[in-house]
Amino acid sequence: MSKDGSNTMIFSTLLSEAVKWGRKNSLWPMPFATSCCGIEVMSTLSSTYDLSRFGAEVVRFSPRQADMLIVAGTITTKMAPVLRTIYDQMLEPKWVIAMGACSSSGGIFDTYSVLQGIDYIMPVDVYVSGCPPIPEGLIYSVLYLQKIIDEGLERTPALKPTYEEAMKAMTYHKTPEGLILPSIKTGISLGNGTNEEASKEVPNEVRNG
Amino acid sequence: MRFAMGSSIDQRATYLQLQKAANQKLQDLYAKDLHFELDKINEPILWVKNMPNLFAVICYLQTDEIFKINYLSDLTAYDNIDHIDGDKRFVLVYQLLSLETKVSVRLKLLIDDSEDAKTISHIFPAANWLEREVFDMYGIVFRGHPDLRRIMMDERFIGHPQRKEYDIKQRMPFADNMKTNLDRNPVP
Ligand code: SF4
Repeated sequence: MSKDGSNTMIFSTLLSEAVKWGRKNSLWPMPFATSCCGIEVMSTLSSTYDLSRFGAEVVRFSPRQADMLIVAGTITTKMAPVLRTIYDQMLEPKWVIAMGACSSSGGIFDTYSVLQGIDYIMPVDVYVSGCPPIPEGLIYSVLYLQKIIDEGLERTPALKPTYEEAMKAMTYHKTPEGLILPSIKTGISLGNGTNEEASKEVPNEVRNG
Repeated sequence: MRFAMGSSIDQRATYLQLQKAANQKLQDLYAKDLHFELDKINEPILWVKNMPNLFAVICYLQTDEIFKINYLSDLTAYDNIDHIDGDKRFVLVYQLLSLETKVSVRLKLLIDDSEDAKTISHIFPAANWLEREVFDMYGIVFRGHPDLRRIMMDERFIGHPQRKEYDIKQRMPFADNMKTNLDRNPVP
């Protein structure tokens, strides 16, 4: 339609194209900023870089209302179930951006407490490299995500490694008992996770699945 | 003790004087039977013998006119596995401060793997979480603690990661951080 309404025009198009257009230009982000990369997210959203130019301006702090999860920061193994819950709460269609070295691969924190990449717990669409990535990097990833949506590129499949592969990725040094280092001093019961429970539960889980 | 409003340099000088007096007093009182030393910035370190001794010293420092200790800055530990500081396994460190006179005192206590420490959370409530941290990281059990659970690591975690024998890259696989459960909902 023209602006003055005088000569009416009709566009004939596919509904799927219209839906695609709508989706790619209204990627509402849910920032999950746990450490230093979060500062870059704030910078990207602020007026200097202005992510809203690309339709991704309405930051939602409720996963139910968001389309795109930006994971910016170190994810510890204790935080992993929380992040997974947030991912599960988001409604389809949903996309995930792993921002920075930490959320992509664990980064410099190759230690006992840090998850080595959020792709252990959720499928990831775009990885942004850098420690931290510059705001242009995040903008590029959003643009790339728009390209993924627009061209219908295949999304990262959920990898299903074998039990051995998973164990190799999780532990560098195996103990004779398998995977669990026996508690050195069990003076006190630690919640619901006892030694036998942990060493029994995990392998069965994997073999069944 | 109240101070007149002076420049901050004057105040700093006063605090340094007080710290010096406190160091001297600590040395006179305890240097006979306890090991006493000063660190590089002239803060006193007192190696107490055992748990009752620690309580006695803390109680004295709280009531004394010069020290007036009323604040627990930090409570931590370190692994003395190479026995540089003594022949026991761990060293507990209590960093005490007076908010009034700015005097600070560090108490250290050697403790063995088989021994239990006692909580000071009834004296300084701030010790509650710090003791939980020390328990989580080193496995030192604080008897009498109201709620001695892990504070940083996952509740299902086994072992104490800050002990020197714990391998730094030894991660624990749980059902919710393994790739095999990537698209399962709910995670088993
Ligand atoms: S990738 Fe670098 S900047 Fe980002 S959270 Fe990790 S350490 Fe911080």
